Amino acid sequence: MGEIHVAEERCKGCGLCIDACPRGLIAFSDHMNEKGYTVVTFVGERSACTGCAMCATACPDQGIEVWNKAGRQTFENTTGLTERMSHYCPGCTHGVIHRIAAECLQELGLLDRAVGIAPVGCSVLAYEYFNVDMFEAAHGRAPAVATGAKRARPECIVFTYQGDGDLCSIGGNEILHAANRGERITVIFVNNAIYGMTGGQMAPTTLPGQRTTTSPRGRDVESTGHPLRMAELLATLGTPGFIARGSAHDPAHVLRTKKLIKRAFELQRDGTCFTFVEVLSTCPTNWGLSPHEATEWLQDNMLPVFPLGVLKEPAAVAEGAA
Amino acid sequence: MTKILMKGNEALGEAAVRAGCVHFFGYPITPQTEIPEYLVKRLAQVGGTFVQAESEIAAIHMVMGASGVGVRCMTSSSSPGISLMAEGMSYIAACELPCVVVNMMRAGPGLGGILPAQSDYHQATRGHGHGDYQVIVLAPSSVQEAVDLMGLAFELAERWRNPVMVCADGMIGQMMEPVEFADGDGRGPPMPPNDWALGVREGRRRRIVNSLYLSPEELLAHNRKLKAKYDAIAATERRSELDAGAGGYDVLVVAFGTMARICRTAVDELRAEGLRPALFRPISLKPFPYPELRRALDAIDGDGPVLAVEMSMGQMVDDVRLAAEGTRRVLFHGTAGGVVPSPDDVAAEIRAALGAAVA
Repeated sequence: MGEIHVAEERCKGCGLCIDACPRGLIAFSDHMNEKGYTVVTFVGERSACTGCAMCATACPDQGIEVWNKAGRQTFENTTGLTERMSHYCPGCTHGVIHRIAAECLQELGLLDRAVGIAPVGCSVLAYEYFNVDMFEAAHGRAPAVATGAKRARPECIVFTYQGDGDLCSIGGNEILHAANRGERITVIFVNNAIYGMTGGQMAPTTLPGQRTTTSPRGRDVESTGHPLRMAELLATLGTPGFIARGSAHDPAHVLRTKKLIKRAFELQRDGTCFTFVEVLSTCPTNWGLSPHEATEWLQDNMLPVFPLGVLKEPAAVAEGAA
Repeated sequence: MTKILMKGNEALGEAAVRAGCVHFFGYPITPQTEIPEYLVKRLAQVGGTFVQAESEIAAIHMVMGASGVGVRCMTSSSSPGISLMAEGMSYIAACELPCVVVNMMRAGPGLGGILPAQSDYHQATRGHGHGDYQVIVLAPSSVQEAVDLMGLAFELAERWRNPVMVCADGMIGQMMEPVEFADGDGRGPPMPPNDWALGVREGRRRRIVNSLYLSPEELLAHNRKLKAKYDAIAATERRSELDAGAGGYDVLVVAFGTMARICRTAVDELRAEGLRPALFRPISLKPFPYPELRRALDAIDGDGPVLAVEMSMGQMVDDVRLAAEGTRRVLFHGTAGGVVPSPDDVAAEIRAALGAAVA
């Protein structure tokens, strides 16, 4: 039998682990933790748990560790993140994206020479969570800060972590030109189709008809344009690059996205090219949905507009692989 | 040491390399473009970094990135570009990172013109961006002094962990003059050891370069720490020059940069006629040399006035008034738009000021 351990003090009661368990072995308990969240608990037969770790993979808050039937730990919290509780809302997948990026750095042995750059927006405090050297940049300027840092210290693994307002809107010029210069950096672009930190305003990536506080009748493409598809846009550049899009709305997509991020860090480590991974993310609070509904909304509404996959491979690598 | 005939902008670029700065990020703008044009070639020789940024906004944030990982770095621009760098200057000052920013001032406002001006004095000394921060501002009045101040600029930036602006004008940038560079290996001093730069950790605790303080008490404490630093800079880094002449003076002319040089010629001409003007030249515009200027004001014979002369509609004159604290009549002569006053223009103004003193 497998075994999970829920760190109740970390649980925000989002229930994403409940959705994730293929055997329905997790449910809400009847009690709250100190912060007032109704915490989850293991239910059902212990022998039914295989230790697959889908629950921990879905957890945005490093709240679950897992052992399999052989007693081997199949999910261990990464040392690439600090132990600090995040300020993200329950069910927001920022925490998941933080974790997989940190896991990639740890697995590649790059934590000691990683320099991260936090944006302005919901992930402004990312410097508190990534357990590496960190900058906090001005709104949209992270790719410029990354350019300066990487050019000055090529031995460092330099990555930015930016949301859609930061990267697509105010920082549109900085990301475009960092990509076009082929800066050997990694950009993790979190797209949740809305401004989170300021309370749910329209983003460049907001879907047609999507209601936000600044598009209260739904985004009108006639006057506000269509969602900006940054990965597609960057993939048109002549400069070699690795451009991909993943999603964090369920464990299977999280694991696939992790592979993309790992590839990006490997390409940077090898000095190959500019690397960019867009990750679709949920915003239950500003979408006005439960965490569970938010994952469904992403699946149904965002995936058709923002298709997943690798949009561009660096040419040399593609030829080498062929 | 031999003298070399060099254009001001190119001499500044060479001075930066000799000060050990091999990381440059910038964007073309007249009248400073020869700085990046010189450095792109020169930095290739010494294995440095040159990036032509997509904008002045990006350039200053690239400087922030490079400075944050502990290398000596700079950018250069001219007035409208400095306006765009305002955001980054605030962040860099808030994060206490060292860097040098050259401003070859041109005429404004708006797109203005490309000819020399001093109309960004307020911008340079009163802050460019938001918040209670200050940068050190040095104003050369010759190509040689620009070269000398570049070395000092990096030294001060690193001593105080603060941006330093070398604030000249298009005249200094575009003029060719003989210059000499200090002896040495041309690589400048090594970066002093520090406990703040990001990079390869080698087992040390992680570091954060940040200007966000969500707790008002912590942000107040951060502001107080910065203010204490600025006060220490004001107490120790004032630089100025007084030419009092022999046997006292009846009027004190105050000017900086190119304008001080023109005033110098006018003062010499008037002295040859037997008149008694003196010239005070602030070299550090921030910190402004208030005590030194006040002493020079107090030494004017009788109730003689002080005359501020600027290539602006009157900006530094505010600091002259602050130094005078109402004890002297403060006169002003200025032009703008790229019109550079001649020594004769200035001499006429000084004569008028002396006439006013007599009358």
